[in-house]
Amino acid sequence: MQVGLKIWRYDSATGDRALREYEIEAPEEATLLDCLDIVKDRHDGTLAYRKSCRMMICGSCGMRMDGAAVLACKTRMYDIAQEGRVPVISAMGNLPIVKDLVVDMDPFWSKFKAMWPWLEPGYDRPDDGREYRISQERMNVVHKEALCINCGCCVSECNAMESDPEFLGPQALAKGMRFVGDPRDGATVERLERYNREHGIWDCTRCYFCNERCPKGVDPRDAIAKLGAESIRLGIDRDMGAKHAKWFVRSAETTGWLREEELIPKTQGYVSAIKQLKFGASLARHGKVRPVPIPHVARDVDEARNLRKVVQEQDRAGALGIVQGERALARLAHGGGSESLEEIYARPGSAPRPFLPGEGSAEGQGSLTQADVTPGKEPTRKRGEA
Amino acid sequence: MPLGVDGSAADGEARCASVISVIAKHDVLVVGAGCAGMRAAIEAYDAGADVAMISKLHPTRSHSGAAEGGINAALGNAAEDNAEIHAYDTVKGSDYLGDQDAIEVFAEEAPGDIIQLENWGAFFSRREDGKLAQRPFGAAGSPRTVYAADITGHVLIQVLWEQVCKRDIPVYEEFFAWQLVEHEDRCQGVICWDLLHGGLKTVGGKTVVLATGGAGRQYRVTTNAYACTGDGMAMALHAGLPLKDMEFMQFHPTTLYPTGILLTEGIRGEGGYLINKDGERFMKHYAPNALELASRDVVSRSEQTEIDEGRGIEGSVLLDMRHLGAERIIERLPGSRELSMVYAGIDPIYDPVPVRPGAHYHMGGIETDNDGATEMTGLYAAGECACVSIHGANRLGGNSLMETITFGRRAGRSAAEWALSHTTVEVPESAERDAEARLRDLLDREGGERPWKLRDELGSSMLENFAVFRREEQMARQIEIIEGLRERYPNVYVEDKGEVFNSDLTQAIELGNMLDTALCMVTAGLVRKESRGAHARPHDYPTRDDENFLHHSITRWKDGGVELTKSEVRFTKWEPQERTY
Repeated sequence: MQVGLKIWRYDSATGDRALREYEIEAPEEATLLDCLDIVKDRHDGTLAYRKSCRMMICGSCGMRMDGAAVLACKTRMYDIAQEGRVPVISAMGNLPIVKDLVVDMDPFWSKFKAMWPWLEPGYDRPDDGREYRISQERMNVVHKEALCINCGCCVSECNAMESDPEFLGPQALAKGMRFVGDPRDGATVERLERYNREHGIWDCTRCYFCNERCPKGVDPRDAIAKLGAESIRLGIDRDMGAKHAKWFVRSAETTGWLREEELIPKTQGYVSAIKQLKFGASLARHGKVRPVPIPHVARDVDEARNLRKVVQEQDRAGALGIVQGERALARLAHGGGSESLEEIYARPGSAPRPFLPGEGSAEGQGSLTQADVTPGKEPTRKRGEA
Repeated sequence: MPLGVDGSAADGEARCASVISVIAKHDVLVVGAGCAGMRAAIEAYDAGADVAMISKLHPTRSHSGAAEGGINAALGNAAEDNAEIHAYDTVKGSDYLGDQDAIEVFAEEAPGDIIQLENWGAFFSRREDGKLAQRPFGAAGSPRTVYAADITGHVLIQVLWEQVCKRDIPVYEEFFAWQLVEHEDRCQGVICWDLLHGGLKTVGGKTVVLATGGAGRQYRVTTNAYACTGDGMAMALHAGLPLKDMEFMQFHPTTLYPTGILLTEGIRGEGGYLINKDGERFMKHYAPNALELASRDVVSRSEQTEIDEGRGIEGSVLLDMRHLGAERIIERLPGSRELSMVYAGIDPIYDPVPVRPGAHYHMGGIETDNDGATEMTGLYAAGECACVSIHGANRLGGNSLMETITFGRRAGRSAAEWALSHTTVEVPESAERDAEARLRDLLDREGGERPWKLRDELGSSMLENFAVFRREEQMARQIEIIEGLRERYPNVYVEDKGEVFNSDLTQAIELGNMLDTALCMVTAGLVRKESRGAHARPHDYPTRDDENFLHHSITRWKDGGVELTKSEVRFTKWEPQERTY
């Protein structure tokens, strides 16, 4: 198939920057990475980009296509080529460009390292010299965070980092959650204290671009939410962001609605709230501040209180209260998933149902889950031999 | 100002301002930062050495991370198991070419290494009792493969990288290691091309550990990453060291059609079927007991036979997991499902996936002893680039990840111990001048053939002539083809003349590495007139010949060609027997 690409070329040595267009012939199954290979091999050997595994696991080939971060190896080009679209390929955002599609990952990794990205052994270390005994359910709290391949796609799209380059960012914070949520880790409080500082979890603008662009379903924003919830649960709530979040809950459970006039003093403290008087006046003009300081209680306040009670009774406060996102790798949509095996085999165009030679189709379906390897019992036969 | 090959000053543009200097000296220098490299570096650090790593990729980009199914250790969590059974399975799997003392060390130490990884925080899958889960794998007498769904390699790379960060071990990232520095009969460092900034950089080390992985890119259909080009093997080869058992290239039975992307053996471990176009589970004909979970060489040959005899579909057979059900597929094999969906457009819950044998793993490599030491003082090797040998003629699934950890650790420890008892590092100017001249030669060419042509020809011809089944005349022809490519190689043209991220240059160097190591493989294969493990010659020598070929093949680089000799296999307690599954 014919594929057209426009690639932003850049050379940090000279500062030259140019948008170049390439027309190439590629096989129909080609990914964006395959197309870049064809450009580099046959059209322009000076094109620079990173690549390695070409199977969505090494995280090398993060770049932007039409302004949004993708893994080049995960992006199939067939539909784009059929539509006759010529996508614009550029380097990832929020990281300095070194050459063409290659960015300097140093800022990325220094934030990663700032998270103490290793397990600090806890106190309940097994005394028999064996592995920790932990249920899969308990580990699943950080299942998605453990899928992260450090490709940088989330960082590329992070809006908070665009305005605050020092913001730790979605990837580093997801790595943080990987350990905060790990039952083997003994440094939860120290970690959360650290992540609660300036440029930390509360500086996220909740735009959800990171969840949107993550090629592995890590959902970094969910991880940040979990870190916030876990901080508050453990009383690490000095940051304005934490106070702000706490007030939302407090307000909802006491009066069933958000008392906005109290939000600023509760978040910033009464002293600094005085500086916001002008803003308060503006709120009043728009009818957001009630003239009488007696809070209005919503009619269905019991419902709000009960919701809160349910969360507490189910012990789902903190990270456990954040429901795993639907986009997690393990949850890739697969129709209803309710078909029986017979229905699956009977689907039109379906491959033949498996059977063991000589045993007919019905008997061939016993699931072999355990290898029956008995050395020397029967020789390996060639087909057709007795 | 750098000097050109003829000694004159390079042109005023200074296309390549490659001034050589030793940028740093360390006790232990680890080349390659996959599982073996990182494990070696961690061990050397813990032994008290000043250690650094060199890698042409960031450590987490290493191809160890693409391993899927699991890592073998006889923990006995799922069924009765012990190191002796593990060792026996490995010996048998190796078709009796594995060195048994090494295999015993390996099986004995593996469980401790796994527990350590878990204690470091590895995200392994769990049993209901909270212990590490273990799944059945091919040719294993007990379910002993510890796993993390089907992203085990990723989990290992992450936990090792975390431990590297914790120790703050320096990494020379995107440094392309090119040439070993041999001085006073020992290895004292590595000359590298700095990919990100340009320039030749020499890093000194009292000891050097090569952990550069495999060379699957010699084949057009391979599970291997673009980075797997045998750089470490070639460096050792060019330094005069022996490569052992290079003819044994493992073909993984389930690589996705048409890309060659790996689908884990864990799919079959979880109960997946291999069927031909009629739906017949053909493995019954070839391995009546183990069926789909026979050894990899057996399964690959069976598939190739089905395909060759017309019972395949478009050059592949089908991997069927429909009967496992959506829940099990989603829980245990989510990555394989995603790979099938993205690269073949098939959801394995509803349809079987087309698979075929693809080049996967080099059983052979740089000859080492059980502590990773090579023939050259101060030089060690571990992981896929090394050949201890625990895999012999055929590796069992799940044993290579374990090898990277156990022998990475052992190599790191012995490299550190040697380094801490010796003092100096010296890099002679001559070594640097040699590298400089090679670089100039490559970059100064004003025209020639682009490397991809040679690379594609190598990949296609290796697949045709030196794959699952091998014939005398095809191997002979392949040697001619490789020689022809090697003759053209001095004329390859590097289009990019810049300093910054010149991957055009490094890809050209990689091509040279692949050509020379491929020549070793086919040369050794041609002479091995028997069928053993991954080396199958059904047409002329269909059986194993212990009388004449129960020995390792040793290839060395001599006078611009391959010199072939042999060495003894080390036995302890298992006599060669007929190998059946």
